[in-house]
Amino acid sequence: MPTWQHGNQRVLARAAIAAVGALIIATASQSANAWTLEEAAAPYKGTTIRTVGEALPPLEALAKMKHEFEERTGITVEVEMYEHSEAVNKVMLDLNSRRGRYDFIIQPHRELGRFVENGHLVALNQFMDDPKLRNPAFAPEDVLYDALWKEISWYGGKMYGYPFTALNMYMWYRTDLIADPKEQAGFKEKFGYDLAPPTNLDQYRDLAEWFTRPDERFYGTAIQGKRHEALWYEWLNFLYAYGADMMDVSSGSACGPIIVNSPAAIAATEYYKSLMAYSPPDTLNYFWDDVMALMQQGKVFELIMWNDATYAVAVDTDASTVVGKMGFAATPLGPTGKAVGQVEGWTYLVPAYSKNQEAAYLFIQWMMEYDQQLNQHLNGGASARPDVYATDEVIALPYSQASMDSNAAAIAKPTIPASPQITDILVREISAYLSDQKSVKDALDTAAAEMHELLGDCAPLRYPVQ
Amino acid sequence: MRGAFMDRYISVWFLTPALLFLLFILVGPFGFMVWTSFTDLSFALPDRDGNLVGFDNFRRLMRDTLFWDSFSLTMRFMFLAVFAELLLGFAIAQVLFHHVRQRRFVLTLLMVPMMLAPIAVGLIWKLLLQGDFGMVTYYLRKVGILGDQEVILSNSDLVLAAIIGIDIWQWTPFVVLVMLAGLMSLPREPYEAAVMDGARPLQIFRDITLPLLRPIIALVVLLRGIDAFKEFDKVFLLTGGGPGSATELLSIYTYRMNFRNWDLGYGAACAFMVYFVVLIMCSIFYKAVYWNEGRPTARTDRPT
Repeated sequence: MPTWQHGNQRVLARAAIAAVGALIIATASQSANAWTLEEAAAPYKGTTIRTVGEALPPLEALAKMKHEFEERTGITVEVEMYEHSEAVNKVMLDLNSRRGRYDFIIQPHRELGRFVENGHLVALNQFMDDPKLRNPAFAPEDVLYDALWKEISWYGGKMYGYPFTALNMYMWYRTDLIADPKEQAGFKEKFGYDLAPPTNLDQYRDLAEWFTRPDERFYGTAIQGKRHEALWYEWLNFLYAYGADMMDVSSGSACGPIIVNSPAAIAATEYYKSLMAYSPPDTLNYFWDDVMALMQQGKVFELIMWNDATYAVAVDTDASTVVGKMGFAATPLGPTGKAVGQVEGWTYLVPAYSKNQEAAYLFIQWMMEYDQQLNQHLNGGASARPDVYATDEVIALPYSQASMDSNAAAIAKPTIPASPQITDILVREISAYLSDQKSVKDALDTAAAEMHELLGDCAPLRYPVQ
Repeated sequence: MRGAFMDRYISVWFLTPALLFLLFILVGPFGFMVWTSFTDLSFALPDRDGNLVGFDNFRRLMRDTLFWDSFSLTMRFMFLAVFAELLLGFAIAQVLFHHVRQRRFVLTLLMVPMMLAPIAVGLIWKLLLQGDFGMVTYYLRKVGILGDQEVILSNSDLVLAAIIGIDIWQWTPFVVLVMLAGLMSLPREPYEAAVMDGARPLQIFRDITLPLLRPIIALVVLLRGIDAFKEFDKVFLLTGGGPGSATELLSIYTYRMNFRNWDLGYGAACAFMVYFVVLIMCSIFYKAVYWNEGRPTARTDRPT
């Protein structure tokens, strides 16, 4: 072999050795910099973090799942669960006392503005910008329903949390009754069209009428007429279906003209009341727990109800007598012909007074990962990740399509600081109308006037009140 | 000398722990409530950090029709419930006193509703009055008092009557207990003298029993009146103040102001009004009981 060839071989060999060495070094440093939950949580090992939320399947699922996080990180997670109003009240008292009992909280998004404007929360950017805390594999802007996330966890352009649940309401109905040939024949004879899941509100009422059999203690529907937030949420479905709204705004954090007493709102509320004729006689004393129990006991044909309660009706054989007999679909169309839903969700938030903010953030971030979201969703949760809804197991759930359809059509609700008071005003007035204490115009005019007094000049009355 | 000092001030020392306790538990919070009622404190709305606003909250309260609607509803509830409890309780006490030998056994049974926690009472009656499977609703329909599809708790015409009925069921035993104790403590001599003079039972009842029992009756009315005015637990559980505002008693309205709206300044003003009404009731009680006592009569003052 010529001398120059020997020389070339030596150069090549040295180049090859150098390249391999560089590759080894590069791989080693990547491994050394790779983020792991265990390493990120190491400074907080031995810490206990506490949270509070509503006692429903999503939080119950979280409580069962937290053990894996605890084993991996050495951080203990305590979960307190209460009924809806109690969960909200406890947080309000803790935040205003600044005691820092809760290291992170799970709250309905209508409270968000109140918390932010009073300085009770920390924006999560400070954690996301910290490479020691941020899991680089978790990119919320890519993996969450963006519009939902922005509505329920952002305020004033800042990010304060991640969605704990992507809630919506849709129609529940009994598939076995619809498939019954006798029911089909009788319905067709009376109403002149085929018995099928209702696609519009007129059909919804027709089916409610058909299936109302007081002698058998079976009712077409059941409205959540108790003086409780449940009434407001349910009424909103019909309000939106009629093309009406409370304020003429495009996002929850905005304040704008009050339109709650518009002609469309009046028509929607009148329709809502008309469903009382096909509801149990005590329907004005029912809220979501009661109507869910009615469906579980097989006492009602159709409802407009929450996705986070469907597990207890459609899957849980210990609690429900109608497992395998349930169908779900988006809220039937109103006169506008437009599909509607409501943006709603409980959101993970970190209080400013939490003494373990970083540990809390690590837990929240871990819960938002795909595996945990899928696990929680399959056990009664309501994930805000589209990729969860694309899995075979979730697609197989009877309510997944209805959930996704409702998410797609969701309309924002107020998250301004006064929004819980707006809810209270509307609950009182609609309840008064439902119980014949006022006319619908009086009730909605009163609500509009009080909202205007509460919000001031940013919310003028589009429909003046006498 | 040391003995005289101790004698003079020992009572102060014994009273001090109780006074301190009252100061922290009663006077302090009350004072804070009064102070808060003069501020704009709100946990919900920003920039409402408890700045002094003078009498603004009270001016707002005067204009608040919802407050006065709740006030009038509460007064109606109080008068009807207390009046019925007094009549029924007194009647039962009379029967027990005059005609029942195994008084202790019967009284023990009667006391059961009174022993229950208000929350338990609310839950029990929520089930009993439930529209579809409530036992009381079922039997009321059976005897024709309620129509087949008629219910109570969702009916704004009937719900207040139901709440009053539940209150009567729970607290009449208390009236029985106090009135019976009063009857048993009355002296025998006036009755013996009246019988010897040929007085009829109704005359004895009107001219001896009632006047002698006046302080007891006033005490019962006052205690029950105060309790009824502050009624909250079972009503909140049964109806939440609904349907509409049919059962929104003042306590429930005040609760909403404080713990739903978190408008603590105004809520404190509402709570102060509740206290003010109770204070007036106590004044009326004091005058009713001690009206003739300590005032010289014409006969005794006439010089001999």
